[in-house]
Amino acid sequence: MSFVQWTFLLGGLAVVGPLIAHLLAKPRFRRVPFTMLRFLRSGQIESQSRRKLRDLLILLLRCAIIVLIAMLFAQPILHIRPKPQRTRNVYYVGLDNSMSMAYSDGSDSYIDRAIESAIGYIQAAGTDSVFNICPLASPDWLQGLSKEQAMVAVKGLKVSPASAKMGDFLSALGRTKRDALSGDVTSVLLVSDFTPNTLKQLPNVQEPAETHNIDYKPIVSPEPINNAAIIEAHASEVVGGRIGIDVTVANYGQTEQTRLLTAKVKASESVLAEVSLPPNQRRTYQAQVDIGGSEREQLSLPIELSLSPGDGLRQDDTFYLAVSMPERKSLDVLLARNTANEMFLVATALYTLSRMKPDGAFKMRQVLLSDLASADLGSADILICSAITAPLERMASALRNFVRAGGRIIFFLTGEPAYNATAQLWQQDVLPALPRKYTPEKIYVEPKPLQQQGSAVDNLAAEALANYRIDNMPFKGWWQCEPHAQSRCLWKFKDDQGFIYCKSIGDGKSILVNTSADNSLGSLTKSSASVAFCQYLLGANSQVSENSFAYGEPVSLPVPGVEATSGQQQFWVETCDAQKCRVALSKSSLLVPDPGGIGWVKTLGKPAIYAGVNLPQGETDMTKPVSKELAEIMSRVFSRDTEPGVASADVFGDKKQTSLWKVFAWTLIFLLLLEPAIANRLKR
Amino acid sequence: MRQGREYLDPAFLSKLANMDLVARCAVEGFFAGLHPSPFHGFSVEYSDHRQYHPGDELKFVDWKVFGRSDRLYIKRFRQETNATVYILLDTSNSMSFAGNPVRKVPDGTFRAAQPCSHGVRKIDYACFLAAALSYLMLSQGDSTSLMLFAETVVKQIPPKSKHTHLNAILTALQSTSPSGRTNLANVLHVFAEATKRRGMVILISDLLDDEGDIYKGLAHLKFLKHDVIIFHTMDHQELNLGYEGLIEFEDLESKARLQTFPQSIRDSYRKRVAEFLDEVQKTAGKSGIDYCLLDTSQPLDKALIAYLARRKRMM
Repeated sequence: MSFVQWTFLLGGLAVVGPLIAHLLAKPRFRRVPFTMLRFLRSGQIESQSRRKLRDLLILLLRCAIIVLIAMLFAQPILHIRPKPQRTRNVYYVGLDNSMSMAYSDGSDSYIDRAIESAIGYIQAAGTDSVFNICPLASPDWLQGLSKEQAMVAVKGLKVSPASAKMGDFLSALGRTKRDALSGDVTSVLLVSDFTPNTLKQLPNVQEPAETHNIDYKPIVSPEPINNAAIIEAHASEVVGGRIGIDVTVANYGQTEQTRLLTAKVKASESVLAEVSLPPNQRRTYQAQVDIGGSEREQLSLPIELSLSPGDGLRQDDTFYLAVSMPERKSLDVLLARNTANEMFLVATALYTLSRMKPDGAFKMRQVLLSDLASADLGSADILICSAITAPLERMASALRNFVRAGGRIIFFLTGEPAYNATAQLWQQDVLPALPRKYTPEKIYVEPKPLQQQGSAVDNLAAEALANYRIDNMPFKGWWQCEPHAQSRCLWKFKDDQGFIYCKSIGDGKSILVNTSADNSLGSLTKSSASVAFCQYLLGANSQVSENSFAYGEPVSLPVPGVEATSGQQQFWVETCDAQKCRVALSKSSLLVPDPGGIGWVKTLGKPAIYAGVNLPQGETDMTKPVSKELAEIMSRVFSRDTEPGVASADVFGDKKQTSLWKVFAWTLIFLLLLEPAIANRLKR
Repeated sequence: MRQGREYLDPAFLSKLANMDLVARCAVEGFFAGLHPSPFHGFSVEYSDHRQYHPGDELKFVDWKVFGRSDRLYIKRFRQETNATVYILLDTSNSMSFAGNPVRKVPDGTFRAAQPCSHGVRKIDYACFLAAALSYLMLSQGDSTSLMLFAETVVKQIPPKSKHTHLNAILTALQSTSPSGRTNLANVLHVFAEATKRRGMVILISDLLDDEGDIYKGLAHLKFLKHDVIIFHTMDHQELNLGYEGLIEFEDLESKARLQTFPQSIRDSYRKRVAEFLDEVQKTAGKSGIDYCLLDTSQPLDKALIAYLARRKRMM
């Protein structure tokens, strides 16, 4: 407590007055003759002691009133500090249990050494310490454990396929430290192999974690690391019963790797390539895997790629690649034209494509735009409009439903678009871009389309188009377009204007080509670029797709051809740890919340659909950390808090100042009322 | 009636210098206040007639007068006894106590007024009472004796029934002054042993002696078949302790002093005095002794009524 006007406290010396008066005052008795003294004496003994007590009480009361008045004028302020807590040792043991810790150099694995090190650390701590065991690759912390509980928890720790999440550990450490009692002394032990994948997370830490003691123990093997891993695999296309696969193998060790890359499809296993990699090198191997008749039998095909023989870490020698086979059905293309021969070139390109593709063909129908009706859209998969004309105004709603149901519309801008039809299509969110003004100037497109993920266009065809040097071909003019907020520009003119816009609507696509069909396709008839361009616009349907996920990503199993709304149909799914669970179908896919490790996630029953779950890329890069660099990173990530408890209390503003004048004033009023009451009682 | 009661007021009586006048005023005033007097009719000598009032005993109706006049009249008689009455008057120093004139404060209790010089002393009040009783008894023809005592018997006037005997009694009362300490028990034993003839013993005292001894003395009197009336004379201050401020009390007999704050002990004092009075009254009642507490601030009629009631029972 302190005082703003402390000089007023001198007024408290006035308390001497009543004290002196009390000490010096002599009572004056009036002598009265009386007879019955014996009756007086009996009450006198009790009365004397009570009277002395009351005298003392009233003296104290009056002194208190004087002191309170002085203190009230001095304006007291109370400083509240949190009560000092009993010092408690709190340990945070960050134990790396990521997959790289499963590495073994012939004796113990890394995780065993880490557990042994952590147990030694826990044993050296005091008996009344509190432990928080934090597995870095697992989300669950074990908090507030005693010494014995902590040792049991550490001993039961298992390797997780996930990466060590250092950022999460540090931020959680900061939060926990903030919530800790003010008397706590926190110590952090970090036991990890500090792989590059772990260390690269640390420089991104925004705020250093405060702790009183920091200790870290890198777990590294004294021997050269012997580890290679399949880090990536992609399937390209199915040709003649064989599927093309690109497999990337990395040598994460310090010894040269000579291994065999094998592929296992169902029961049949085949050697794809002989891998020979020097230390710290990676290479992509292209191989063909014979899938035999599988492509006709099932939509999803599991391919297990392996390196043999094994090395120090076998878990990363296998890669699980699930391949979805392309659909085999022919596509129904409806060509809506304004004049009789307007779509001749498009039809020719489609005819050529049909002949080129043995797996599927295009069925073409042609209709005049003025005759286009909703019934025409019923059996169509793709609608190509040579222009935006007035009849499309009444079809806007039907076109929207067509696209939402999975159809694809391709608009060409031939001539000036009909205003009402354009506005209606724009209002229905069917048009990916709104043409505003035509500029009749020569213009050239970029050499190649922008690389886009997804299946809006055929990316292989896009790469092929780059070879035709379309950028040398002038276009007659272009429309200045305002793209829809949800649309993407797939290809641009050289002056940054959009050439092709695409917008996803429901399960379908809407594409706007910023030229006429004649200018886009007609100019290309002298080469096969028209076919590639047409293929580009129609999208891929011969490519295989992959269902491979890194552990930690959401795993979804696509179920094509099953039309069910969310929650109406459920599938039994077996996860990597052989657990069975029911998963509801949502938007033609099954979202599995927890894959249960690495391996296969598959549906039970038909259709049989697979998804491969693999280690995160780079997780098993076993490059040993450099001690000096590691020490520098640790000093940057952790800051030492030298003053236990008090510092954190000050940082968070626990110290408060409260003015006490009200308390003093009320107390004074109370005493002033009490004093006459006691004094009167004394006289009675 | 109101005028009659004024003569019973001790403050009024204290202004009268002549004790004879005091006795006459007290008794006449007393009888003037009684209407109708319940104390006629217990003798055999005819006195007069009065008109019958509902409630009168029918045995005193004069039927002859009724037969002649067809009106109901009661015959009244004058008492004619030879009872002996002994008045024992305490003249110790404690009887010289005179409290302050009292006043009634708004809370309903009585407090002593300042200054304290106008109170009636207990001895004066006791003398008035003794004089009035003597006058009354001698006028009825009773033999009356007076004994003044403190530690021992100070003065004793033997019993006589002559009307002139009153002068001797009144002279003794007028000349008495309080002195000495109370030794009531001893005096009662001495009196009991010295008295041959049984009669009515009227003890006027403040009883400030050892209670046990007093009870033994009274028991001695009862053993000798005396009818005993105790007029316990107390000052209002003694009963209520109505003093204010810091006071040093000095005992009138032992001269012991006590400094105290009366306010703080008033409740406990009253409680103990009440216990004392209650104990005396109970003990007297058990022994068949009439007990009458007299507050010196109150008129004398209470005492006279008590005496006459007792005398009636004797007859």
